[in-house]
Amino acid sequence: MKQIIIIAVIAGFAALLPLAIGDSPYFIGVLISVLMMAALSSAWNILGGYAGQYSFGHAAYFGAGAYTTMILISKFNFNPLVGMVAGIIVACIIALITGSIVFRLRGHYFGLASIAVAEIVRLSALNFDFTGGAQGILLSDVSLWGMDLNSKIPFYYGMLLVLVFTLGIALNLRKSKTGYYLQAIREDQDAAASLGINLSFYKNKALLISAGLTSVLGSLYAVYIRFIDTSAVLDLRLSIEIILTAIIGGVGTVWGPVLGAVLLVPLAEMLRSNVIGDVLVTQGIVSENSGLGVFLKGNLAHAHVLVYGIITVLCILYMPKGILGLFRRKK
Amino acid sequence: MFFIQSLLSGILTGGVYALAGIGMSLVFGVMNISNFAHGDLMMLGMYLAYFAFTLLHIDPYLSLLLIIPTAFLFGFIIEKVFIHRIIHHPHQNQILLTIGLGLIMSNTALLAFTSDPKILTTSYSSSAVNIGGISLSVPLLLSFAITAGITGILFLFLSKTTTGLALWATSQNREAAQLMGINVAKMSAIAFGLGTALAATAGALIAPVYYIHPLAGHTFLLKAFTICVLGGLGSVVGAGVGGIIIGIVESMSSTYLSSDWKDVVVFIIFLMVLLLRPQGLLGKKGEQ
Repeated sequence: MKQIIIIAVIAGFAALLPLAIGDSPYFIGVLISVLMMAALSSAWNILGGYAGQYSFGHAAYFGAGAYTTMILISKFNFNPLVGMVAGIIVACIIALITGSIVFRLRGHYFGLASIAVAEIVRLSALNFDFTGGAQGILLSDVSLWGMDLNSKIPFYYGMLLVLVFTLGIALNLRKSKTGYYLQAIREDQDAAASLGINLSFYKNKALLISAGLTSVLGSLYAVYIRFIDTSAVLDLRLSIEIILTAIIGGVGTVWGPVLGAVLLVPLAEMLRSNVIGDVLVTQGIVSENSGLGVFLKGNLAHAHVLVYGIITVLCILYMPKGILGLFRRKK
Repeated sequence: MFFIQSLLSGILTGGVYALAGIGMSLVFGVMNISNFAHGDLMMLGMYLAYFAFTLLHIDPYLSLLLIIPTAFLFGFIIEKVFIHRIIHHPHQNQILLTIGLGLIMSNTALLAFTSDPKILTTSYSSSAVNIGGISLSVPLLLSFAITAGITGILFLFLSKTTTGLALWATSQNREAAQLMGINVAKMSAIAFGLGTALAATAGALIAPVYYIHPLAGHTFLLKAFTICVLGGLGSVVGAGVGGIIIGIVESMSSTYLSSDWKDVVVFIIFLMVLLLRPQGLLGKKGEQ
């Protein structure tokens, strides 16, 4: 109950946030990214954190939602919501195929197989014609119930809604029979099986919930950005960012993924838009024309992935249970 | 004729893949770690060969004499600083740590060398020998010969020297090896150093025929995994055979299907092996 109140309070606060910060598309854009990554990472956490099945291929489900929605809207003029539902179905089909292959495997093999499936999906989208190939799909216009979809505000609330829904499921699952079974599978598969838990049923259940939610976010993202290609929605990098967000916050906890997203996304955004370089130059600390200035301006934007790498290594070495794990140990 | 041409060039490319696969398999066998930085180590080998050629004017094949010890030392240090601390951690942490190290390497390369692809052109880059109507690329033939030589030396090292036998023993049973007085921590560092040296060698060998790019490692990483799984994770001979098979499969699917789909074919084979024979073609039954 306490947790539900926390969700309600934070969601209420988040719902009022756009009113407070006014009409700054840049900040709303960053906030949308935070909400999306928090939701993606929470959805991944249901499979990876609760059941301990580290999927390295969640981009496949995100891409499935994004591609299905975009194809249905751009080619057949469907309602975006129909596209979203169709996306869930496609993602669940991919998940079932993936599950039937990867859940027989353990340890190293599970991670490797999940990557292989995601890569097959990515390469297929890259090589087929109906997915737009390497050019991707561009959407010139989209409408839903007369809403102004040129504004970012509807997407902010859309993402918030999906995040609250995902957190609700995550909370609910943790204290349910399924949730306890998943945690038992995570701690010791053989022991769980010997107690009569149907391993493959519960793993697949967690995977389907996780994949469905991820696909919804993919659909929302696609309509929001209105352009998708394989490197934006199906890349291995996306799968890794999702895992990393959960790891840094705390895998297996309800709030870890949210915390991870709140910390990581603005940091990545700052590096990507090169705020640090700009400040150093405008404050006159580094001359714009000096070698260092040119380097900062030109190259530092690429460095956000480098920072991700450094954070991953430090996190695994010094706090493998994430930030929330640190607090738990001190108690 | 097409068939034989395709088969032979597949075998030649496969030889270089085999080298990368053997490196990964060795690390897996001795340390029980899937090294996701392997592709990026290959990329570093490509750049080492490139800079040895452009700055020092050393032939890429000759530069191996410099690259192999440098890469071995680099791998040895990486193991001592990072990898050994997580050797008893869960698999997913090991995977994430090596992914992190790989991201650091590829993005440092991106910052230092920019994203413009580099091309290493030697006087013989595009030359080919013609045997009975079948033309074989000279750089690939040289790479294959060097690969065969290095694999032979590695095999002798593993089966004839004390250190080599200790590595074998550690990969068979880490605890038992430790009880027999083998310094398994040192063996891990040597294995990772060797794995790095083999990855860098493979990178240097394909540098004259590929684009050299900071993110080139990604493709090779997944290929190396497929090769290892095909041969049985941890089996050095298996990885060698797996490399040749993957080379042939790629070459055949480029010829008869389309080069766009060759990677898909490789991944489907990868999943089929995991499903039907998870211990690999030559692997021993056990952990799956």
